[in-house]
Amino acid sequence: MASHSPGTDQIDTLFWIGFFAAAILIVVVVGALLYVVRRYRSERGAEPRQLLSGRRLQFRVAGVLTVFAALLFILGIVFTDNAREKPNTGEAGLASLKGEPLKIEATGQQWLWRYDYPNGAFSYYKLVVPVDTAVELELVSTDVVHTWNVEELARKADAVPGKTNKVLFSADEEGTYLGDSATLSGQAYAAMRTAVEVVSPDEYEEFVETQKEEIQAAQEKVVSQIENGETP
Amino acid sequence: MSPSPRPELVADGYSPKRPRWAQLATSADHKDVGRILICGALGFAFIALVELVLMRIQLLVPENTFLSPVGFNRMLSLYGATAIFLFALPLVIGISYYVTPLQIGARGTALPRLGQIGLTLWAAGATALYATFLFTPSEAGVNPLAPLTEKAFLSNNGVDAWVTSSGLATLGFVFLAINLIATLKTMRAPGMAWRRVPVFGWATAVGSWLMVVIGPVLLAALTMLMIDRHYDGIFFADGSGGAPLLWQHLSWIFYTGAYMLILIFAFGTIAEIATAFARKPLFNRTVVMASLAAIAVIGTLAWMQNMLTAPIGIGWMYFAMLMSLALIVPFGLVFFNLIATLAGGTLRMRAPLLFALGALFAISVGLASELCHSLVASAWHLKNTVDSTAATHFTLIGGAVFGGFAALHYWFPKMTGRTMGELMARISFWTIMAGLLLGFVPLFFAGTEQGQVIDAYKYFAGTGVTAYNVIASIGVFVLFVGILLTIVNAMLSREGGPEAGHDPWGGETLEWFALSPPEPHNFDVLPDVRSPRPLRDIRVAIGHRTRRSEQATARDSQPVA
Repeated sequence: MASHSPGTDQIDTLFWIGFFAAAILIVVVVGALLYVVRRYRSERGAEPRQLLSGRRLQFRVAGVLTVFAALLFILGIVFTDNAREKPNTGEAGLASLKGEPLKIEATGQQWLWRYDYPNGAFSYYKLVVPVDTAVELELVSTDVVHTWNVEELARKADAVPGKTNKVLFSADEEGTYLGDSATLSGQAYAAMRTAVEVVSPDEYEEFVETQKEEIQAAQEKVVSQIENGETP
Repeated sequence: MSPSPRPELVADGYSPKRPRWAQLATSADHKDVGRILICGALGFAFIALVELVLMRIQLLVPENTFLSPVGFNRMLSLYGATAIFLFALPLVIGISYYVTPLQIGARGTALPRLGQIGLTLWAAGATALYATFLFTPSEAGVNPLAPLTEKAFLSNNGVDAWVTSSGLATLGFVFLAINLIATLKTMRAPGMAWRRVPVFGWATAVGSWLMVVIGPVLLAALTMLMIDRHYDGIFFADGSGGAPLLWQHLSWIFYTGAYMLILIFAFGTIAEIATAFARKPLFNRTVVMASLAAIAVIGTLAWMQNMLTAPIGIGWMYFAMLMSLALIVPFGLVFFNLIATLAGGTLRMRAPLLFALGALFAISVGLASELCHSLVASAWHLKNTVDSTAATHFTLIGGAVFGGFAALHYWFPKMTGRTMGELMARISFWTIMAGLLLGFVPLFFAGTEQGQVIDAYKYFAGTGVTAYNVIASIGVFVLFVGILLTIVNAMLSREGGPEAGHDPWGGETLEWFALSPPEPHNFDVLPDVRSPRPLRDIRVAIGHRTRRSEQATARDSQPVA
């Protein structure tokens, strides 16, 4: 997974920590099993020694396991907290925000994502954000549970009806990042995809203005059609 | 005047009133109930695999049209319910129900009719699920998340049938569990204190208590869902105070507990097999028994590990992480003691031990992979990817398939008087192992590298997951063949397997003291239980007596100078 936001770096690092911890456990268990099977395989023989373990050995093993688990727990908290840190808007980012993140509402609905921008513009499927800018995505749902999932930019997060979930990211590079929904939401769930287009601040401003004007023009057209009796 | 003695009745040669199948279906004998559950579970294993194969055919190539989106979702929903409620849980509960009363020296169960009602409810649940083919199967997924299951989104009666079937089956499991608890509490053989109960019997006790706790939680959630769907309830509906997340909490408590229950059963089985085949006592019984109880409690408390992307507080996420990681200690101790039991023994590599070793391998890989899902930020990356599908299948195939089949091969001689075909068992084992590795290892890569999401009826070309999915599909076909071989082996060996005698493995627990198959009343006589290994005690005593008698004979026959 390529990482294009500060939080995803932390997610990635913690994943690799977990991966190596898991690998150690698998190697120890499988290695011990293979050794025991090769060493003690026997069709017949005298009854083996009836060995029992005392408490001390058990406490030692439990102690090692506890330290291993505690270490992972601490690392888990450290990296998770780092991943949750609010990213800052950089010099190349949108200057007009004055330290506040750019708040965009993402609404999951069967089976597309709608993005509402601060100026009243909205878009479906494609989210446009400025590069190097802290973005706070407020996830909501109008129907069932959906999961917003653009791995290169941010953590997965569920949009649950009646609740608001937040995702923070700051894209470090212009480009298009693809994502999909990750919770079964009905028959067209597999097709519920999304794209985040990271552009320069100027292009972003231009996009939201154009989008707003086009939406207003479309709304005015509908109103005039209703007034002229062209639309029932 | 004393009554005259009853004459001995001779019944040989008289056919029973009812045919055998009717006797079996109406019997409250724990062995009959257990056998029906085991046979039913194996039958549903076959059906679940057919469903899995159909889904894998759909996912063989990108944007395949073999199944429609709705058809795929229905197959997925049926597969999930079948694998959990009709295969894994009934198999482990069925084997426990058959074996545990024998292991503790009981001549039956404490509440036999309750167990029989439990079986009937489970069968009714299974019928309800598959009767949906007459109208509409559910299409809401393995754990159907509210509010997708609300009438507004899925108005046909597939969800109702799913609720009914899983509810009836769960109620049946609770009844069976209550009977097992009562039996373990009141019908243990003289001298069998809790500290002398076989580890498998202890695992049954822990698993049964767990079912009694988690079963009603799911039943409550299902009842709320039915009220939502049919009586304008608002438990899980958004608005008017409804809480969609409540469903997730309640259902994950059940599913996480059931996951632990299957593992506890598997570890109990492996402990019995390890001691019998290594001819050694468990390295530390007390620690294993305490660890199994800890897994039940801590494991269930880790239910929110499945909700780390939901809008819940970070404190709750850390709590879930703490509980999940705390499981490393009891799981680690169980693994350590099981492997240490095998070490130093004389391992006879027969099918039960082979499957038990396979279970240890698969469970270790599955649980270690779950570790990455327990670290909160890591779970934000992995949650709902096919990596989680792979981890879950490794653990559950380890517990229910390898663990369940290890138990089946081990206790099959007790149930039928015959052993299962050894060659076919070995071929089946290696085929299942190959199927597991081919079928699910690629999904680890597809999930972690490419983030392929779960439950989707298709994926797109150019997303880098095609090769993984092709291999996974081939692996599932191999897995299907492997599991089918064990089912066929069991069917063939029931009548045609080699005769086993009453104690083919040199077991140390009381079930091997009974005839194979056992009489309806299980035992004519019972030995006093003075240790966790009563049959070994008898063998040792006989050995001592024989040695003394031989020594005495030798002494007596010494020529006098």
